[in-house]
Amino acid sequence: MARGVMLMSGGIDSPVALHYLLRRGHEMIAVHMDNRPFTDDTPIEKVADHLTVLRERYGQPIPLYMVPHGSTQITLMRNTDRHVGCILCRRFMWRSAERIAERENASFLATGEALGQVASQTLSNMRSATASVRLPIVRPLIGLDKVEIERVAKEIGTYGISTRPGICCQAVPPKPATRSNLVQILREEQKVDPESILDDCVRNTVLVK
Amino acid sequence: MYRRLELCSNRGGFEAVPEPARPIDLVEARRQLERAGIAVVDARVMLIAALEAEVTIARSGRLLFKTRDPKVAERALGRLSAILGLPARSPGPGADTAGGPSGRPRKRVGPGESI
Repeated sequence: MARGVMLMSGGIDSPVALHYLLRRGHEMIAVHMDNRPFTDDTPIEKVADHLTVLRERYGQPIPLYMVPHGSTQITLMRNTDRHVGCILCRRFMWRSAERIAERENASFLATGEALGQVASQTLSNMRSATASVRLPIVRPLIGLDKVEIERVAKEIGTYGISTRPGICCQAVPPKPATRSNLVQILREEQKVDPESILDDCVRNTVLVK
Repeated sequence: MYRRLELCSNRGGFEAVPEPARPIDLVEARRQLERAGIAVVDARVMLIAALEAEVTIARSGRLLFKTRDPKVAERALGRLSAILGLPARSPGPGADTAGGPSGRPRKRVGPGESI
């Protein structure tokens, strides 16, 4: 079985996606993008608790990398069109995950994305976001609807953790773009220095367990 | 005027929205906060200030207090109002519910009330 890197948000979907990959016998490494000060501490606590549940269920270690992402968000908000902020944000998330995958000798990336669930999960936005990386991306939940995902989350014991009170990401613009084209996104991204941002993030990444 | 301090849609903090709309000049607000000795993160379209609770100050005038304690949120709102000269807050028209941005009902919390 393959070794992969899973992006974990603290929400309902990502632990369910991770559960499916672990059930298939994949060896998984978790990455959480720490969005403070645009959130509070709760996403970190939720991800830690999700992993505790899934480690116990599958009896295997799941290392967790915490990548500081707040300063990236600040740079993007100061310098780029806020309308496409979520897509740019996700491009940096993917790149960070890919750097960790290279370090961990992992061969794929994974998320809990389900098509059309939120603004960043339209086909054009997913394409614009993932064009920043080369590794294959696995989305175990892509065709599931929210009801199905929540049912599995309850079965595996992660739903109650995900739905604890918390602050939504404050960096999300009032009207995020639901359609994007890659040329426009790349033009926006040129207003910042992606490699320097990424180097900073990865340098300050912490391996928790 | 900031009439209400409401639990936000994800129940992780309290928000206050000016009625009628009253944008905040973030450049001036940052200056005033720093003059008062408060650490501020400037993200251009919003400020994040370290008061009794961390507060996000949007250009629209929306304030979000990252605390689940209504008394802490009240104190932070009072201090912020004094520093920025925000319009004084009056009690809301009752402790019923109001629809938030997500359409989910939110509980209004008045001064000294607990959630």
